[in-house]
Amino acid sequence: MKPDCMSTGWLIATVATCVLAPAPVLADVPLLYATIEPPQITMGQSAQYTITNLGSEAQSMQLPVVAGLNFQFIRQSRQLEFVNGTALPSVSIVARVTPQMPGIFSIPGATPQSPPLVLQVNPEPALGSYFTPRNTAPPVKPPIFTGAKMPSGIHLAEDGSAYVRLSIPKREVYVGESVPVQIDVGMRSGFASSRNGLPKLTGDDFTLNNLTFSPERNERMLGGEWFVVFTWHSDLAVVKSGIFSLSAQAPLTVRVRTQPRKDSLLDDAFGDPFLRNFFGPSVPKDIDVISPATELTVLALPAEGRPPDFHGAVGTFTIASDIAPAAAEVGEPLTLRLRVTGSGNFDRVDSAMLDHVDNWKTYPPKSSYVPGDAEGRKGEKIFEQPLIASKAGEQTIPALTFSFFDPTARRYETARSSPLSVHISPSQADSILTASQVSAGASAAPGSTYAAGLRPDRVVAGTSARSLVPLYLQPRFLAAPSLLALAFAGAWLGTGRRKDHAVNMPLRRRRLSKAANRALAQVEAASRGGDAARFLGCARSALQQALAARWSLEQDRVTSTEVSSRMGSEGRDIVLLFALADEAKYSGHDLHTTDYDRCMRIVRQELLVEKAP
Amino acid sequence: MTSRARLALLLIMLTVLVSHARAAPVQSGNSAAALYNLANSYARAGKPGMAVLNYERASLLAPNDSDIDTNLRRVRSSARLATEPRGWFERVFTIANPNLTSWAGVIGLGLLGVGVLAGRITSRHRWMRVAAGALGASLIGMTVGNGVVLWPKLHEGVVLTAETPVLVSPVPMGDALFVLPEAETVRMLSEHESFVLVRTRAGRTGWVSRANLAPVVAQPAADGSP
Repeated sequence: MKPDCMSTGWLIATVATCVLAPAPVLADVPLLYATIEPPQITMGQSAQYTITNLGSEAQSMQLPVVAGLNFQFIRQSRQLEFVNGTALPSVSIVARVTPQMPGIFSIPGATPQSPPLVLQVNPEPALGSYFTPRNTAPPVKPPIFTGAKMPSGIHLAEDGSAYVRLSIPKREVYVGESVPVQIDVGMRSGFASSRNGLPKLTGDDFTLNNLTFSPERNERMLGGEWFVVFTWHSDLAVVKSGIFSLSAQAPLTVRVRTQPRKDSLLDDAFGDPFLRNFFGPSVPKDIDVISPATELTVLALPAEGRPPDFHGAVGTFTIASDIAPAAAEVGEPLTLRLRVTGSGNFDRVDSAMLDHVDNWKTYPPKSSYVPGDAEGRKGEKIFEQPLIASKAGEQTIPALTFSFFDPTARRYETARSSPLSVHISPSQADSILTASQVSAGASAAPGSTYAAGLRPDRVVAGTSARSLVPLYLQPRFLAAPSLLALAFAGAWLGTGRRKDHAVNMPLRRRRLSKAANRALAQVEAASRGGDAARFLGCARSALQQALAARWSLEQDRVTSTEVSSRMGSEGRDIVLLFALADEAKYSGHDLHTTDYDRCMRIVRQELLVEKAP
Repeated sequence: MTSRARLALLLIMLTVLVSHARAAPVQSGNSAAALYNLANSYARAGKPGMAVLNYERASLLAPNDSDIDTNLRRVRSSARLATEPRGWFERVFTIANPNLTSWAGVIGLGLLGVGVLAGRITSRHRWMRVAAGALGASLIGMTVGNGVVLWPKLHEGVVLTAETPVLVSPVPMGDALFVLPEAETVRMLSEHESFVLVRTRAGRTGWVSRANLAPVVAQPAADGSP
């Protein structure tokens, strides 16, 4: 189908070239453009890439280079194209594009200003597809590069799909020395499909620093083919002396064709640009690619001149120390910071040099490493040693030393730091400085941002307080309110009885007054009745009641004897009245009128005393 | 002894107590003005931590001093620290300095006691007894309120060094939880050797080296110095 169309087009173009004169090219028509048909294919199929030049032939037309796509030149043709009614002569190059792996490929445009073309390559169907290979021949390996010269140090794998290269800058190293190495893994586009792990060294006599999972990635033309090259930079360390053969290996997955190439070549002979099975289907296969062996001589560290404080550091180092803060108080922690800078095996740089800091209270040091390069061979290791000064004064921290082996100079070296001086003062936080002391120190930092807009100092010193703790929280002061409270409590208790008495007195008086009135009424009633025994009984009862209240006694206990003992001669009439009452009660003695009056006077006199406020 | 004599004796005793305490000799001490000037000096020296510390100490002695409050806020804002306005409760109960409030509390206790005792002794002059009791209770309440307001400040500390690490444990090599800026005020919860357990305004807790922190109210030393 397509070849017919293209042949017809070629005929028409030839005739038109003879008939029509060349027309001026419109300004907005691109002179160079490319197309790809179809834009979506399946693995095993090919697409047609056409690049057309509407202008002069002087403009170069080159096939693009895309990793994973193979561009094969088919033919070059001349024709006329009608653009906006104008016939333009054009030159076209047709190429067959064969994908080597599924995916979406971006093909650069014909000119830098042209947009890229996109070719989508779908994976081949699993079973029953029209494109399934009809033969069942055994898998055939991709073609081995022949005739192409590879750079030195690169030896392709047997199937030509990949290579591993190990680069070491020197062949003679010392035990413990950190040697930079570079590992390149090249994967031929379309043949090596994936990495199955990180590269590693063969043999147990070497240690390799951790490799990153995201190495540098480049595309490089080697021997006329495109390779995707992954590069790792790392450090190599040797643990014992001797002569070793060193190589690196990397696990990869490559794709292996399953259709003989001769079938494709036969299809190519017919000039069909859309032959489906140019390379044929392929299957993945896991392989280990090994680099060529490199001989490495490892020398033992010399015993001669080895410093006693050497702990295996090999490289080039310098040390520096500082302490912060430069002035501190007694008991305040300071930090002695030791910086070891250089290149070498920093894992053998330890803090043993800090063990010789005497006359200070020390704590275990803490270390950190700041790498200076990607491999971590250069950098700075920082040890921080907390120190606590135990006494005030000018204290000195002696110089620190660090010994290492310099592989370049091939001898041991000792780096030294300068002694440090620290001023230790008494505790500041708990003491109050005077403003003049601070002002004297403030001269070192004039124009502080904190001083802007401050209200001025006071002239009057004001009243002084012994402590910042409020008085009500000071035990000595609390004695005053406590004493006061105790005094009030004592006064409260002391006035309690009096208050009871004072409060109860009117009530008692009212009660006594009522009782006296009642008793007096009974006595008067008995007097009016002329019953001497009843009159004297009432009179005696009234007197007993009044006297009992006066003396705080029971009424029965107010007898003639009690009255005589308490009142003496003043109670003689009362004692007589008690005697008359007994006599009248038991003998029926009668009274004279004057006796009534006299008894009434005695009773009234005593009752009125009780009623008086 | 009559009731009048007892009341007079109580008043005399109260007067003697007050006069004795007022007349007590003042040893080497601090004044709000001296601490204020000292804080200003630290601020000019570019030491916001010590400046805030002495402003806080000065504000303990003169809580309502506007100069102290203004300069304290200015230094804190210069140090990029948050400043919180004083609430009405704090303003009311710090209207007088704590020492004056302490004596007011004693006088209030005396007035309240006299009023109560007078009520037990006599029933006359009731309005005077009630007024004395109410005034005494108010003065005591003022003292208690002052204590409530100042109690947190008595347990606060000020960070003296920049980028002070707050550790997870009270050892010098402990891991740092976060970093406190200089002049930040924290609540001091407890102490262990040379470390103080602090709580920030945001509620985070951790251990800070005693050397990096100064309490607003320093604990008295063994020799009695403040």
